[in-house]
Formats: sequence, C-alpha cells, structure tokens
Amino acid sequence: MPKLTIDGKEVEVPKGTRLIEAARKLGIEVAHYCYHPGLPIAGNCRMCLVEIEKNPKLQISCHIEAADGMVVKTQSALAKQGRQNTLEFLLLNHPVDCPVCDQAGECKLQDYYMEHGLHDPKFDDNKVRKSKKAFPIGPNVMLDTERCILCSRCVRFTDEITKTHEFGIFNRGDHSEVGLVPGKSLDNPYSANVVDICPVGALTDRDFRFKCRVWYLGKTPSVCTGCSRGCNIEIDYDRLRPHKKAGHDRIMRFKPRENSEVNKWWICDAGRYSYKLIDHGRLVAAKQSGIDASLDAALGEVAGLLAKAREQGRSGRIGVLASPDMTNEELFLVRQLFREELSAALAFEMAEPAGHKDDFLITADKHPNRAGAREILGTGLAKGEELLARAARGDLVALLVFHWDIAALAGADRLAAAARGAPLYVFATHENRTTYAARFALPVANFAEQSGTFTNCQGRVQRIAKAVEPLGESRPAWKILCEFSDALRLGWTHESAESVFAELSASVHAFAGMSWQTLGHAGATWKQGQPQEAAAAR
Amino acid sequence: MEPMILDMLLKAGLGLIILGMVLNIAGLLTWVERKQSALMQDRIGANRAAIFGFTALGLLHGIADAVKMFTKEDCMPKGAHRFIFNLAPAISVAFAMAAFAAIPFGNTLTLFSRTINLQVAELDAALLFVLAAMSIAVYGVILAGFSSNSNYAVLGGMRAASQMLSYEMSMGLSILGLVLLNDTMNLQEMVRAQGGTWLGFIPRWGVFTQPLAFLVFTTAVLAETKRAPFDLPEGESEIIGYFVEYSGMKFGMFLLTDFIETVLAACLVSVFFFGGWQIPGLHATGFHFPWGTTIPLPPLAVSLLGVAAMMTKVVFFNWLFMALRWTLPRFRYDQLMHLGWKILLPASIANVLVTAAWVAWRG
Amino acid sequence: MAANVKVLKRRELTWWENTFLPSIYAGLVITSRHFFGNLAIHISHVFGLRKKERGSTTYQYPEEKRPLAHRYRTRHRLMKRDSGETRCVACMLCETICPAHCIAIVAKEHPDPDIEKMPASFDIDLGKCVYCGFCVEVCPEDAIRMDTGRLDIAAYSRGGMILNFDHLMNPELPVLDPAKPVAR
Ligand code: SF4
Ligand code: SF4
Ligand code: SF4
Ligand code: SF4
Ligand code: FES
Repeated sequence: MPKLTIDGKEVEVPKGTRLIEAARKLGIEVAHYCYHPGLPIAGNCRMCLVEIEKNPKLQISCHIEAADGMVVKTQSALAKQGRQNTLEFLLLNHPVDCPVCDQAGECKLQDYYMEHGLHDPKFDDNKVRKSKKAFPIGPNVMLDTERCILCSRCVRFTDEITKTHEFGIFNRGDHSEVGLVPGKSLDNPYSANVVDICPVGALTDRDFRFKCRVWYLGKTPSVCTGCSRGCNIEIDYDRLRPHKKAGHDRIMRFKPRENSEVNKWWICDAGRYSYKLIDHGRLVAAKQSGIDASLDAALGEVAGLLAKAREQGRSGRIGVLASPDMTNEELFLVRQLFREELSAALAFEMAEPAGHKDDFLITADKHPNRAGAREILGTGLAKGEELLARAARGDLVALLVFHWDIAALAGADRLAAAARGAPLYVFATHENRTTYAARFALPVANFAEQSGTFTNCQGRVQRIAKAVEPLGESRPAWKILCEFSDALRLGWTHESAESVFAELSASVHAFAGMSWQTLGHAGATWKQGQPQEAAAAR
Repeated sequence: MEPMILDMLLKAGLGLIILGMVLNIAGLLTWVERKQSALMQDRIGANRAAIFGFTALGLLHGIADAVKMFTKEDCMPKGAHRFIFNLAPAISVAFAMAAFAAIPFGNTLTLFSRTINLQVAELDAALLFVLAAMSIAVYGVILAGFSSNSNYAVLGGMRAASQMLSYEMSMGLSILGLVLLNDTMNLQEMVRAQGGTWLGFIPRWGVFTQPLAFLVFTTAVLAETKRAPFDLPEGESEIIGYFVEYSGMKFGMFLLTDFIETVLAACLVSVFFFGGWQIPGLHATGFHFPWGTTIPLPPLAVSLLGVAAMMTKVVFFNWLFMALRWTLPRFRYDQLMHLGWKILLPASIANVLVTAAWVAWRG
Repeated sequence: MAANVKVLKRRELTWWENTFLPSIYAGLVITSRHFFGNLAIHISHVFGLRKKERGSTTYQYPEEKRPLAHRYRTRHRLMKRDSGETRCVACMLCETICPAHCIAIVAKEHPDPDIEKMPASFDIDLGKCVYCGFCVEVCPEDAIRMDTGRLDIAAYSRGGMILNFDHLMNPELPVLDPAKPVAR
C-alpha cells in the first residue's frame, strides 16, 4: 500500500489508485474534465495538472498512479498556472453562450473558471465555428459541437458502458468535432446519461431544454420507482419560482445519484423521464363513482365500516389489496392494521404481463418494493384475483385497493363484478378506470411527496424523501392508515414515516438493526442469509 | 317701548352681520392656510378645484371641502356615547362664536340720528364673558375625547384639558394688568381708553403699556386655538387626537372651531393691545397730525374707518398666527408645561404685581 | 480596547433663549422672506414680469412633466435587434436577480439556431417591481432597459399592472389595460 503526501497531508491508498482519487480521499478536489470514475481513463483534457516533487513537468493526476513517498502539490503556483493555461486553451474556441446554454449553473467550465480563470482573457473573438449549432442527435439528447471540449467522456460511455458505439471524434486539430457515427442515432435506453457526464453544455437534455434554469432547482435525494432496481436519483423541482407555479409542473427532472451498490452513476431513460407522472393525471380530490366528493366523508365511511366489521366479528371478510408500490412503512402499517388487528383477507400481488428487462439496470418487475412487501406481508398470501372473485361472490363486506389499476390488469368486467359484490374503496395516486368504478376513490401522495423506504430487488433498503407537497387533497397512505387506527382506537402515535420505520425494524427480522440514520442516503442491504424472499425475488 | 324693539332688531342685525363675517373669515382662513403655507414653502397650494375651468386661485377648495364634508358618511364608533358624541362639536363651535358678541368692531355709528354701538352685547363684564365662552368651548374638545370610546381620542382630550388648564391661568392673569390700568372690564371702554397718543406719535395702545402682558397673552391665546406649535391635542403625526373618530361635518365643525378661534384670538389681541378700532391720530372730528395739520372728516367716515382699522388688525394677526403655525414645530410636552407654568405664569403674576403697584403709586 | 468616547456637553439654554422669542423671531424672518418673495414673484407673473423666476418648485404634474435625469429608472422596455426581433434570449438572469420576484419568463426555441433561445412570454408585474434596475444591470444582452421615461403607471386592477411581451416591445403603446374599471 503506497503512502504519499498530498498538499502536506499523508494518505495511504491501495496500489493502482490514481492521484486524483487519492486526493479525493483527503477531501481535495482536483479540477478535471475527461476523468470520470465510471469510465476508462483518457487523460486528454489536461485540466487535472498537479505538481509532483522531483518531477520537472506538471503531471495529470487522473492518470499517474500513487507511489510510495510521492509528494504532490495541487495548490502550488505552478500547478495553478498550469490549470489556468489549460482552461484558457479550452475556451479558445468555446462560444461562451451561457445565457442560452442549459448547462449554465452546473457547468464545469463556469465552475473552474471561477476557481482558476484568468479573468482577463487573452483570446480574441475570432472563434472557429463548427458546422452546425445545436441539433438533436436522438430522442433525448441535443448536441452543440461548438461547446464541446472534446473530453471524450461521451465516446467512452457509449463504447464501454452501453457498448452501442454511437459517438466518435472526427477531424483533427481545431477542426476536431464530436459527432455520431454516420447512420446512427443516439437512441439506446441509457442515452441521456451522456448529458450528465458531459462536463459542459455540449450535450443537453431535449426534455429539459429551456424549461428552467438549474439554479431554480431544489434537489431531494430519492429512489426511482420505475422498476425494482431502485436506482438512486435526485428529484429536481422548481424551488425558486413559486410565483410561476400555477399551471406549471413542479418536478423539472430526475438526475441519477451515485450509488456504487446499485446503479453506479447511471439510470435508464425510462426512469429518468418517469418524473412526468408525478404531476400529470393525478387524483387530487376524493371521488364518489367518478364525481368529486368530500374526502372526510370518504375516510369516515371506510373507518366506520372497519369499526362496524370488527364489532360484528366480520372483519375477516374485509378484503385488502395492498401493493408493492407502497413503502415498507405503509406495508407494515397494513400488516399491523389489517392482519394483526382485523385479520382481514390480505393480498398484494396480481398477475401482470412480464416487463422488459436487460442485463444492466432494468429489471422485469416494474414495482419498486416487491421484495419489501414479500418480507413484511409474507409470500403465502392469496393473489389479488382471488379477492376480486370473493368480492364478486358477495363474500366480502368491503374491498380496499391500494394503487392497483384493476381495470387495466384484470379487465373492466371483473372489476365491475367485484364492485357489484362489495363496496370498492380505491386509494390511488392517479385517475384511472378503477378509480371511476370505485364507490370512493381516495387521493394518496406519491413517492415524491412523502418520505419512506423501498426495498429493491437486491434486498437493499433505500430512503425516499419528500420533495414537494402532496397535490390537492392527497395525503400519504401511512397517514390515512393512521387515521383508520384512530377510528379503531388502536393508540398508534406515529408522527412520521421515520417512527413507523423504527417500529418496523424492531418487529420484522430483515430490517433488524436498521434506522433512518444508518440507512442514510445510500441505503443498506438486508443481512445475508436472512431474507429468502429477497433471493427469490431476484 | 318702540325704540327698544328697534334697538333689539338692530343688535340682532349686527350680530348676524358679525356672525356672517366671522364665518366667512374662518372659511377664507382655510384658503389662507393652504396658500400661505404653500408660498412659505415654495409650493403652489391647492389650485385644482374649478367651476367651468375657473379655479379662482384655489378659493373654490373651501366650497369643495364643505360639499365633501356634508356629503360624507357620518359614522360613530361602537360604544361611543351617542348624545355627548353629537353634542361635543356643537358646544365647541357655538361657544367659540358666542365669544364674538362682546368684541367691539367699531366705535358708535350714527345712522339716521340713531347711535349704534358696534358691539353686539354691551356687557360690563365683557372680558369675563369672552374668557368664559372660550373656556366652555374647550369642553367640546374634552367631551369629544371622552365620548368617542377610543384610546387616541381620550389621549387627545386629556392633553387638551391639561393644556387649557395651564394656559388659561396665564391668559386671565395677563389681562388683569389691563383691567387695573383701564379700570374697566368692558371691551368697548377698554378700546376707547386706548385712544390718543403719547408725545403725539406713540399710540396709547396696550402693547406699549403692557408689553409683557402682550407676549404672555398672545402665547396663551395661541395655545387656546390648539394649533401648531400647540397642537398636542391633535398630534396629527401620532394620535390624531380628540376628533379621530369624527367624520363628515362633525369633524368639519371642529375644524371650523379652530379657525373661528384663530379669528377670535386675532380680535382679542387687537382689542386688548392694539387699540381695536382706534387709528392713531384719528379723532371724532377727523385726523389730527402731530405737526398740527388736520383733515376734518364726517362722523360716519370716522366710524367706518374705525371698523376698517379693526378689520385690518384682525387680518394682520390672522396672517401672523398662520405664519407662526407654519414656522414653528410642535412643542414637546415637557416644553409645553415648562413654558406654561414656569415662564408664562410667573411672568404674568409679576406683571400684575408691578402694574398694581404702579396704579397704587399713581393713586 | 477602550472605545473612543467623546463626551459632548449639552449647552444649557440661557434665560432669554428659554423664552423661545429669539428663535421664533428668526424663524418668522425666514418663512416670511419666502412668503413675500414668492408672493412678489407670483404677482409679477400676473403682470407678465419676471417670467424666468419660478415662484414655486412645484411641477403641475399631468400638464407639466418633470424633466428626468437621463439615468432615471422608468418603465421597462425590451430592446430590438436590427431585424426588429427582441434581443432577449430568455436567459432568465433578470428573473433570477429580481428582488421583487416580479418577472416571469417562459422560454422557447428561436428559429435561428445561432440565437437558439427567445422568450415565449415575458411578464413584468409593475405592481410588485421596486424599480431597482437590477434586471437592466444583469442582462448580458443589453436586452432590457428602463429608459422609456414613462411613469404614468396606473391600472384598475392588479392584473392590469402586468406588462406583457407586447407592452415591453412597444413602450409607446397605451399603458396596460385600457381603463377598464372593476365592476362594482
Ligand atoms: S458549456 Fe458552460 S461555459 Fe459553455 S456556454 Fe454552456 S454554460 Fe457557458
Ligand atoms: S460532447 Fe461533452 S462529453 Fe462528449 S466529448 Fe464533448 S464535452 Fe466531452
Ligand atoms: S427593476 Fe428591480 S424589481 Fe423591477 S423588474 Fe427589474 S429587477 Fe425586478
Ligand atoms: S437578462 Fe436580458 S436576455 Fe436574459 S431574460 Fe432578462 S432581458 Fe432577456
Ligand atoms: S481529467 Fe486528467 S486529463 Fe482530463
């Protein structure tokens, strides 16, 4: 293990570690463009120059391996000047059209210029223009070759990560230009990741184009709910323009969040653009057979029904169809309320068509929390279809459905039959045919509007956090469950999802020892050997 | 029998004329106030009210004000004492106007062999009457403050009460010197006593015999009008004062009272200290100049000249009071009390003592 | 560290000053000088004399406009390119800097890829604007200025105080919602 000194501080790193990573270990960030920890090293931008003692020339820290006894200076006058000159060259032909550039605000050229810039530029305005300004190169990505600094990250991404080889760098000298290989279009399922790794505004998101300036964004760490992988994301919402909110989407975009255990630095395009569901087609008020109704009346009716069934000893004939879209906390409360307290007929799965999957991130299971549901509610439960059938037979006093769009999965006929047999209460985030058919449809918050945890297909428990307020009258399902418990006088005192999780970790083995704090923003995996369910889900 | 009825009719007529005159002057004062303050402050002043495009130098604003006040909603705060609340402005304005009955606006006027004394009420104790009327007018202010059911109004009323108390004392005492000197409380007599000159050119006016009393009285009477620099009962910048809850013409009556009192103050100062209707050198037969020249005039002309002289003096003092009001900032409360009790009161007492001694010595 | 304290002794008023008479006199002299001076000028004006002197510092506003200093900040306008299009590229820097949050811009694609971006809508709520001029200072394109010289900003509703893109591009247009009184 080589031991070296960086900026006067000693650090020991595994053999083969690059200087830039060794410095990062000490909390020293060396400016860089082409280096990306998830990509092979190219060493072509020359931005990461550092001074190494007994070495006459500056060296690129992204490529040099740490060696025993090395003395590295990242802040010496020489190193700084080296980076300053590099930056000057990078900007030589850069258009600096930041006012119209979507990258402005999160652009590494801007950031490093603030740190290292000459601030009295020597270049003149005779820039080499490229053939075309911004143009789309695929369904999700815009390319502006004039802004490109030829770091080749995008090329390496398509070569090494997706192996689709769309990008290349063509021509030479100041005519070098990034572009697509002729005849190709950037349409692989992970294409928009090049937007994130491009350090400048050469590759920008077509969906995000001109929608918002990035400094208006508030950022909340969360987890993608597109499939059971549970890729870590950041929810970017419009924070600074409340005066413009009316009629505008609140969520502006999703960005991948680094998690070496789950998604590394990437997410798929389907997950990235799933943010649109958060603000569109939502159920924002209680509905009675499709017509606006009072939420309090709806909640009161369900609570009264539960209390009455318990009194009459018929609570076993309450059907509850929970969902793998619910958080661990909500599922736990479902278990406490409906199984422990009411011994109701419980289910959480329905037959679904197999989803698309690949060998990188995308999984076939399109629900974020099936592993958690199986662990908390158990695997031996009936399927949703059985509940429907019982309801249709008139065997149930009520059927409570969380999230599932029954009409889409089981067909409108079976839904109608069930609704005829027993009053149907649907707790849903979005309006759909099932909410129309229900006796009462109650709006619940979605994952961007509440905190909680999901368990992904690897048995990793990961936190989501509230980015925006619940839309309209909707409220988190765990709060609704707590309200029912109040009506049944169960004496629950949950103030937050965190306190539910504390109880969950105390009573469900797989979650033992976990707490909101130990999960952090990266999550934690179930203890090995315990959860057979998780293994089965994989 | 018959001459007496005629006398009464004549007096009633005279009273009406004087009342009309006073009200008009008071109304005009609103215009004077605006225009004079504007000129003093390099402004133009209200000049937008117009009839068919004629603005008449802004004179129409007074009419516009009146129209506005009469048409405004008349509101009364919850919990106010309805009767007293309505009575207060009436008391203020009525007694302020009543005081004019004792003011002599001229010497006697002989018309159709009838001699008319140009003073509505020929009271022997006219001085006391005037002081009493002014004191009662203050009740309006205090009652307004107490009946409004508003803290600010109460504050204003209390300030008014204590201010009046402090200054009326000096006011009364300062006049006492004049009473001693002239041996009368009848204002007409007092004015007559100020006729003639010393050394042929110094008029025998009160201001020369009682200069200290003049200063004290002017200050005190200004304080009685409750206008800047003595506008603590109003305190427009902080408590608004006793009339804060009044609106419409009831508020207008308080406003009017202020102006009427200004006119009254000007009249009193003229009568007490500047010889009322006296013109130096003008005798019953005409002008007699110190160097011997005489200009004979008919008695009617002399009488009218006297009235004109009185009016001129009143107008001058109105101007002076306006100028003071727009020159001086409001007193601090402690300054107000300091001035009233520690300066004016001792000064007026000293004045009375010295005058009394002098009168006793003279025999 | 001992603070540097200088004790100022308050001067006691003399007996004579305490009567306030000298100050009252001095004050009256000043105000009367203005009064009679201005009166004389106004009277001279009636006779057509001393026309050059002003008897007051008042501007009779709607008829007589006050001359504005050339840096005076007035209603906003958007600048135009030679082609007549707006110079604004909807960078939203003005919207960002605005301390009153009164600017609202929605961006769209400009047909010319060399310009790339332009406002789809550009609203300034003059009811909220504090006339700080930050928007002008921050604009990288010199696209917004506050030099129309228009101060006559009045409307019958809050909504009427909002300038839209057309108002900003054509500052000579009549102001805001053309006097539509709110129905009572
Ligand atoms: S890439 Fe960065 S420096 Fe270049 S125009 Fe965009 S924001 Fe500005
Ligand atoms: S487009 Fe972006 S990622 Fe690709 S080479 Fe240019 S700067 Fe690097
Ligand atoms: S002048 Fe100031 S407050 Fe007004 S729009 Fe510009 S930045 Fe906003
Ligand atoms: S700062 Fe200038 S260019 Fe940018 S949006 Fe405002 S007016 Fe347009
Ligand atoms: S980051 Fe080291 S050369 Fe680019």
